[in-house]
Amino acid sequence: MSQTTAAAVPRPKLAVDWKGQIVSALPLIVLILLVIAVTINQPNFLALGSVRGLLESMAPILLLALGQTFVILTGGIDLSFAATASFGTVLLALWMPNLGVLGVVAVVATLTLIGFINGFVIAKTQIPSFIATLGALGLYSGLGLAISGASNIRIGESYQAIGWITDLRIAGLPLSALLVILVAVVIAVAMKVLARGKSFHAIGLAEQALLMSGGSTLRIRILAFTLCGLFSGLAAVMLAASQHSGGPTLADTLQLPAIAAVVIGGTAITGGVGGAMKTVVGALIIVVLRVGMSAIGVDPAFEQIVYGVVIIAAVVLTIDRTRLGVVK
Amino acid sequence: MSVPVLEVRNLTKTFKNVVALDDITFEVRQNEVVGLIGENGAGKSTLLKILSGIYQPDSGEILRNGKKTVFRGPKESATAGIGMVHQEQSLVTSVTVAENILLGSETDAVTAGFYNWRKLNAKAQKQLDKIQSPISPTDKVENLSFAQRQMVELAKALGVEEFSMEAPVIVLDEPTSVLEGDELEVLFAQIERLRQFASVIFVSHRLDEVLRVSDRVYILKDGKSVAERNPDTADVDELHRLMVGRESSAEFYHENEQTSVAEMPVVLSVDGLGKRGAFSGVSFEVRKGEVLGISGVQGSGREELTRVLFGAEPFDTGTIVLDGKSVRFSSPVSAVSAGFGYIPAERRIEGIAQGLSVQDNIFLADPAPVSIGPFFVASKARAAAEEWISRLRIRTPGRGTNVSNLSGGNQQKVVLAKWLNSPRLRVLILDHPTRGLDVGAKEDVYTFIRQLCAQGIAIVLLADTLEETIALSHSIFVMRDGEIQRRFDASPGNKPKPVELVEQMV
Repeated sequence: MSQTTAAAVPRPKLAVDWKGQIVSALPLIVLILLVIAVTINQPNFLALGSVRGLLESMAPILLLALGQTFVILTGGIDLSFAATASFGTVLLALWMPNLGVLGVVAVVATLTLIGFINGFVIAKTQIPSFIATLGALGLYSGLGLAISGASNIRIGESYQAIGWITDLRIAGLPLSALLVILVAVVIAVAMKVLARGKSFHAIGLAEQALLMSGGSTLRIRILAFTLCGLFSGLAAVMLAASQHSGGPTLADTLQLPAIAAVVIGGTAITGGVGGAMKTVVGALIIVVLRVGMSAIGVDPAFEQIVYGVVIIAAVVLTIDRTRLGVVK
Repeated sequence: MSVPVLEVRNLTKTFKNVVALDDITFEVRQNEVVGLIGENGAGKSTLLKILSGIYQPDSGEILRNGKKTVFRGPKESATAGIGMVHQEQSLVTSVTVAENILLGSETDAVTAGFYNWRKLNAKAQKQLDKIQSPISPTDKVENLSFAQRQMVELAKALGVEEFSMEAPVIVLDEPTSVLEGDELEVLFAQIERLRQFASVIFVSHRLDEVLRVSDRVYILKDGKSVAERNPDTADVDELHRLMVGRESSAEFYHENEQTSVAEMPVVLSVDGLGKRGAFSGVSFEVRKGEVLGISGVQGSGREELTRVLFGAEPFDTGTIVLDGKSVRFSSPVSAVSAGFGYIPAERRIEGIAQGLSVQDNIFLADPAPVSIGPFFVASKARAAAEEWISRLRIRTPGRGTNVSNLSGGNQQKVVLAKWLNSPRLRVLILDHPTRGLDVGAKEDVYTFIRQLCAQGIAIVLLADTLEETIALSHSIFVMRDGEIQRRFDASPGNKPKPVELVEQMV
């Protein structure tokens, strides 16, 4: 091998990609500017009480968004995740009276299984995830409506089994929200330190190259949707805990903000770029935006309009057009 | 002497802080074929993109028949009579030849948005007649072979004559890189025909071809035009030396490093392998440290054979035995864990993971050597990545650089490092490992192939040229219509001649 260790080749220098640096720091800058703007408008915005409220409303959005992050990283999208979470809250309300804590486990397991089925169908039949999960959205929201009789169901006595989730506080802050942020940190660290941690990114960037390197693209794709299902399950439990009930459309209004949180945080909709911590920033932007809107008196009915525009704007800003040959 | 039909003066172009073209000057005269050669990164593509109006030069000028011109886009370049035949074909495969030839210049063949098919086909036929091509304007492009499609591209490029008063200049960008045998001869005959009424810029990596067809050859190096040669007095060795800036190795393929493998144990043994519609009855053995070359034209079944070996496609009959154990891979996943590696021809899609760093690419196939259990050990990975970069002489700003910023040759080295890094590697399939690489990078790849042999890796090679196949292999078989036509011994000092292989291929 002596001839291989030849003199080191000169290293070409590459210009610093300032534009790329700014775009990737943009979400954090936006978040800080938003906080400043809202604080000027409402000086007590950073008081404990309102931060607590902020975190409480962020927790379920962030949970859903974290699950979606895996899927979007692979270059897919799961449109059924909020409908599945609503369906989960109905199952909780129906199962908890008989099964108690076991019912909670069963619901999370069921939603994880739903995610697995989504992923399996998409990876095996190679149909666009957009279509497969659009179908699943119809399927599970319909199922939820059918078994709930199209109405909210109160969780009775057995509520104690999940009530603590939203009640417990640390230093005045909701434990649940802090736990969700911790989960995000764990995901981010795992993607860094695990040998196969970049697999989701690799699929989104270059599925063929990963496949021809012996990476199981099938398994990774299925895993992404399974994790999305798992996080929908966790979000369902948290929503039911905060609402004391299950409902067939309970999580539906979180669909847009959760997807917005992922893309506004800087995860590329085309896949391959992004991560859990970016999604945390995105989720914070969304909830601060929400508080800010109510502070200046925007009708809550208009919120969805803002989320829709925010999603498009975030994708316009972050999409790498050089990688797209033809827009489909 | 008359005014050159196309002249480029002191053209300079920089990207970020990389100088792509540095004060280039050259000219193309009437009815002349000008060869343009240079390594990857020498500035060929940038120059062509400026000529076709895609890039604007920072300084310098372009003269067409002595008049200063500026091409602000591909349309303006076409209007000036410059026709491009791109390296990667740019035809719409689902429509007819005529629609492709006139795409964007239909003029009166379209009325109120509808094609006037008679007019369209007649116009297309006119272009096809210029090169006396037997292809019909009504053929669907998807039914044509690669070589035929190239002829369609050529006819399309000749369409620039229609809106220019001047004799056209046709630019052929690496037209021969995927052609073989007879197809090459057809192309050369076309170039001779073009010479009658046009001027041609012929860009290629294959020096012998450039010498054969060109009237003059310009050699580009590091963005500069370093020399101009007359093919009658220059030879391949001289061009090679000018291009890479160092002495051409007489032993380009490192044949003296090839060792005998007759005594080595068999690693891979294939018996009666068949896949319906692709190949059948394929049997062979590869020994430790042996290079088995597979030759054949497109459609001979050799591409499918290698994909079956790697588990990317299933097979119907026969057995594959690795180290004495019968294996049947359902996907590349199981092939890789059994010790197979694959260097694909589609480097940018199947080879490198664009967007990931050089380091992440190196450990994409097997992170085990730099991991403890499922955990990545960052310090180990750093050290190992740095070692591969210096060992394979990968030119990159750093191990964290996005691999898509590297040149083709350096990307291929990253793909090599990906497999070399894996201690479980037993069999490496090389599918056109030097396709699109310049001479310097090719030579590096040959060196690494020899080293792999020395390490006892068994290699299955589908090479770019017959010379490459013969020089690198210990044994060769030629496939035709999905069957092994003949086997050749190619051990050191016992090499067959290219013509012997060609006889079996067609």
